[in-house]
Amino acid sequence: MPYRVLSHTADTGIEATGDSLASLINELAMGMFSLVATIEPSAVERWTTVRVESPTPEDLVVDTLSELVYLSEIEDLVFCTFRVDLSPGALSVTLEAGGVPVAAIEPSGPPIKAVTYHRLVVEEREDGWYGRVYFDV
Amino acid sequence: MVWPSVFRCLTIGPSATLVPVVKVGTMEYRRISDVVWELAPYGAMTVPGRIFASETLMELVRLEHAAEQVANVAQLRGIRRASFAMPDIHWGYGFPIGGVAATDVDAGGVISPGGVGFDICCGVRLLASRFTEADFNENREAVMGNLDQSIPRGLGKGAIAPGSLVPEVLTRGAEAVLDAGYGWEADLERCEEHGTSAGADAKAISDHAIARGGGQLGSLGAGNHFLEIQVVDEVHDPFAAEAFGLAEGMLVVMLHCGSRGLGHQTCTDQLRVMGPAMSRHGLTVPDRQLACVPVRSPEGDEYLKAMAAAANFAWANRHVLAHSARQAFAKAFGISLEETGMRLVYDVAHNLAKIETHDIDGRPTELCVHRKGATRAFGPGHPDLPEDLRSTGQPVLVPGSMGTSSWVLRGVVDNPAFFSAAHGAGRVMSRKQAKQREPGRVVRDKLEAEGISVRPGSIGLLAEEAPYAYKDVDQVADVCARGHLAAKVARLRPVGVVKG
Repeated sequence: MPYRVLSHTADTGIEATGDSLASLINELAMGMFSLVATIEPSAVERWTTVRVESPTPEDLVVDTLSELVYLSEIEDLVFCTFRVDLSPGALSVTLEAGGVPVAAIEPSGPPIKAVTYHRLVVEEREDGWYGRVYFDV
Repeated sequence: MVWPSVFRCLTIGPSATLVPVVKVGTMEYRRISDVVWELAPYGAMTVPGRIFASETLMELVRLEHAAEQVANVAQLRGIRRASFAMPDIHWGYGFPIGGVAATDVDAGGVISPGGVGFDICCGVRLLASRFTEADFNENREAVMGNLDQSIPRGLGKGAIAPGSLVPEVLTRGAEAVLDAGYGWEADLERCEEHGTSAGADAKAISDHAIARGGGQLGSLGAGNHFLEIQVVDEVHDPFAAEAFGLAEGMLVVMLHCGSRGLGHQTCTDQLRVMGPAMSRHGLTVPDRQLACVPVRSPEGDEYLKAMAAAANFAWANRHVLAHSARQAFAKAFGISLEETGMRLVYDVAHNLAKIETHDIDGRPTELCVHRKGATRAFGPGHPDLPEDLRSTGQPVLVPGSMGTSSWVLRGVVDNPAFFSAAHGAGRVMSRKQAKQREPGRVVRDKLEAEGISVRPGSIGLLAEEAPYAYKDVDQVADVCARGHLAAKVARLRPVGVVKG
């Protein structure tokens, strides 16, 4: 499973799996922006970089996605492709996000306002990493 | 998770058939009066959960997780009386939408950013006018066209007021934009808190938040935010309607929006701080989105300062948008702003926490009242109301879904939920479900066929906000009245919508 959209009465969630925490973050980021628009990676016009350090894997996921929400709004971009680099032995991530200007896309969902801690799950399982995140939209 | 479906009916008395209990999962909500359902405390709950709902609305509650969230909120330290839910209750994150919780400040009671929400001070503003529906019909295209062009909304940047105003807005709210030429002096008298939340500290707002707000002062946003043109269709309380400045047949303008990215970022920033702070205060919660700290703590103090500053952005945001709406009407009719008669009826928040004094066990007690998707509803005689509204009670604005009615209610003296009432219709269908039912253009065509002009930010997203995605707002207003949350004043019918 790359990522899957979770139903919620007012808002929306994403659950995803990954071979590593880095790949899980990649899938969750792709899932989050897929709620806003469907964009082919080949359409990317600009790249930006995010660096985040957090005390727990849960916090790292929420903090990284929150930083992407911030950058999306500030830079007027909708991201669609990511390169995630997790520092070995540390909960520190450097993420490059490629996106398309808002003016160039037709939204398929409302913008993400924020990343919530509601029913948040980020855990390592026998077959890899699993994450579930709900968003305020 | 799918909750087991159990809904028992018993016959009470010779003719009345009343449902005495509704089971939601393993929880039993017992009917304790006409429209009040109570969950007795269990586990870590220290007060009961109480939902205001009709039987029909309770059936909808049963289908999702909101009732469970009512129980979670009842576990917050220092909570008093009950964890309340208004009739528009639905599944939120942490708190249910429609949740009201008051904590005892002097007894270690907590404040939770999740009890306010990301969209701090999201609220509703209603403008009266000198126009009728016939006037609107004569100039419909011009009005809708002007609003379409002048109201920034949807995905991406766009604002009416310059970002340079933001620092002053954070401390002075609507007053700051009034000084910059937006709105009328008399507006402030009809804003909750006069459009300025006390105790705001701009230093509690991060650079990230200011950067997000800088390009959004005077913008609707997206999702369920809107500007709607409505007609006063039914007057239920002529005395209150007159005091509010409303009359049958009058064209009015309602707008719904909040603190935009500045508020969302502020909540994000504060939640990041509160997680680690909870263990220092010996607090645990069943859902991390309920993260909280004692009101009387450095972190609690910091949150109150930040929340007030973000609230000031929201008051100012609605002020600027309302001014732009007046300009759109004035231009369409070729008259001055003053000649539009677009006076402010009221501006009320539905995502805030406030320090208020309420009676607990016969003693006046200082409480932190969280209203998450719930409207403050002070009754007649309350000292915080403007002089001309003291005899009627506070206007309570309850927007319906796009295409259905909205309601103006008024506060009543015997409100049992810390003077709180509903804030809208309340969603019943997920966005995905709504989109699967009909595409946006079909939703638009149907609304237009009903005489409602639609100017969407995005035609695709219109589908998510279709009328059937929400509960019946008439039932919500009815439960408010039957549950003594607020009394009916007037019903408003939409004739035009500018959608975020």
